[in-house]
Amino acid sequence: MGHHEETERLSRQRLLKIAAAGGAGLVASRLGTAQAALDALGAESGRLKVLDWAGYENDGGQPLFASYVKKHPHNKPQFTYMTNEADALAKMRAGLKPDLFRPYVGWVKYFATSGLVQPWNPKLISNFKHLNPYMVKAGQYKGKQYGIPDDWGLDAVLYRSDKVHPKRRSWDLLWDERYKGKIAWFDDPVEPLTIAGLYYGFKNPWNQSDAELQKSKKLLISKKHLVRLIWSSETELDSAFASGEVWIALAWPNDWVQMRAKKLKVVYMHPKEKPIAWVGMFMLLKGTPRFHLAHAYVDAWSSTKSGKWLEDNYGYGHANTLAHPSSSDLLRALQLSNPRAVTLPYAYLDRDVPRRAVYARIWDEVKAA
Amino acid sequence: MAVQADAPPVVGRRRRRLRIDLTTPGLLSLPVAWLVLFFLVPIAIVGLYSVNVYSINLGPHSFTLAAWHDFLHSSVYLRLFWKSVKMALIVSALVVVLAYPLAYYLALSGTKRKYVLLLLLIAPFLTSYLLRVLAWKVILGDNGVINTFFFSIGLRSHNHPISQLLYSRFAVMLVLGYVWLPFVALPIFVSLESIDRRLLEAASDLGASRLWAFFRVTLPLSLPGVFAAFLFVFIPTLGEFVTPSLVGGASGYMYGNQIVDLFETGFPDWQTGSVLALFLLGVVAVLTIVFSRYLRSGQVAAN
Repeated sequence: MGHHEETERLSRQRLLKIAAAGGAGLVASRLGTAQAALDALGAESGRLKVLDWAGYENDGGQPLFASYVKKHPHNKPQFTYMTNEADALAKMRAGLKPDLFRPYVGWVKYFATSGLVQPWNPKLISNFKHLNPYMVKAGQYKGKQYGIPDDWGLDAVLYRSDKVHPKRRSWDLLWDERYKGKIAWFDDPVEPLTIAGLYYGFKNPWNQSDAELQKSKKLLISKKHLVRLIWSSETELDSAFASGEVWIALAWPNDWVQMRAKKLKVVYMHPKEKPIAWVGMFMLLKGTPRFHLAHAYVDAWSSTKSGKWLEDNYGYGHANTLAHPSSSDLLRALQLSNPRAVTLPYAYLDRDVPRRAVYARIWDEVKAA
Repeated sequence: MAVQADAPPVVGRRRRRLRIDLTTPGLLSLPVAWLVLFFLVPIAIVGLYSVNVYSINLGPHSFTLAAWHDFLHSSVYLRLFWKSVKMALIVSALVVVLAYPLAYYLALSGTKRKYVLLLLLIAPFLTSYLLRVLAWKVILGDNGVINTFFFSIGLRSHNHPISQLLYSRFAVMLVLGYVWLPFVALPIFVSLESIDRRLLEAASDLGASRLWAFFRVTLPLSLPGVFAAFLFVFIPTLGEFVTPSLVGGASGYMYGNQIVDLFETGFPDWQTGSVLALFLLGVVAVLTIVFSRYLRSGQVAAN
């Protein structure tokens, strides 16, 4: 018994020692990792090359990455603009080598399999744990984190409530004959066809069969005469909407915020077929020489402070679940306190389009018709 | 001695000949190199993209004429091209008709201020192209200058503006006409100004009325300028994409916009985009050859 007690005590002591050693080792290892990361950061040089959307750069989005600039004054971001993911793809295929860029969630799989990008190391992003888990999952491909979610929003219908009286809460307001010449569509190779697919109730609007695509195309071509503008930049849409040239538009939350700021009576309608949610995903270029700096930049973007600033100033949501805007209207409209707001039953999260080139060709035909 | 005395002139001739031989290639080398490097080589590259020898897509790719075949059998692209041809023809013809009297006045009225007026004509070029096009949005919008005028005189109510003014084919053609008008007026002006006035005096002496003299003398002699002017506006208008993007809306979409979309807006399809671009280039080249014959015959008539 005495021996047993001794053995037990010994084993407890040993266990404590092992635990202490393990803990110290873990701390040392963590410290070692942190030190290694710091060393690596110090070893990286030059300005961080960011391919991003206009408005998120030095002119408009500086507070979003201010903490990064403060920590790395010699590696300030240098921006190149992308007008859409296809433009980014074309630029990179043509030889542009940004350290990171920001496509939207529907392109994660495409880029992950393109050979152009590499997965992130979430351990190097301190704010990663605060990011919306549904969006984090949407940024994964084969278990690896290829996309770090940041801004997000919806594609839904914006309309002037003093001029437009929808018969029902549906996407079909975008081709309501009563408002001929006052409607704006969004110039995107996938979105309008997806919306037509949602309207028809197709099983998978992001991967329609040839027959379904033809039906969607026919619908869009037959309704195109009602459309005044097919917008490709928010400035263009906001200007047309504010001046009264357009009363109904496929729009983003920011447009709703902008129009309200102009004192227009507007409604951001979530159609009964459900809106489409999009999430911006930072992606890391394969073989980037500024691996750790890119992580530090994304970490700055992912902070609660940056998230709140984005929501307050742009009217978009932010993946950081701790970030909440000052406007309770925006909080409600985007259900920012609901982590499931981007998924069913609230919205369809945008996704990979296996036949993107076919969709693009059909959309070209719609525009040219 | 005699041989020695003759020798220096021989060397001098050689030097002179050498200098003469180098002058022409020396002068031509830079523009030719420029043309080859920045015109012919890029076109060749676009040509290689069109047959898939070069490709934006990763992975294996080989020579194929599939994109050309698809294009030539595509009613969509050819219909769009024809739509753009019609728009460009209307713009070019109208602008030439509008510019001719202007150029005629400047060249033949004998006003001392013609160069001042000419300067005024090209004054819009001192501002940005984009700014000039965007200014039309202010004029043509639902609450723009024209509609506001109609509201004020009671021809239209605020709820029913003339919405076809902006984001329409009309808007594209109007703005293109405005943008290219000075380009059209200048070659006509030059052509009219170079007419020998004694020919008009002779026509008058022979009893021709001013109208008759215009149709029999002035107009034929100014035709090279008219054709040049027409070509000046038709070629760029046919491939235009900025103006339709800004004021064209859903119905003002042109062939040039399709090329841009294929390269970067939709899903990058540089192969088809290259085919469309080369087709446009081919049409423009043929038109230039055809019109240059007219220009030559016009010059012959002038001579």
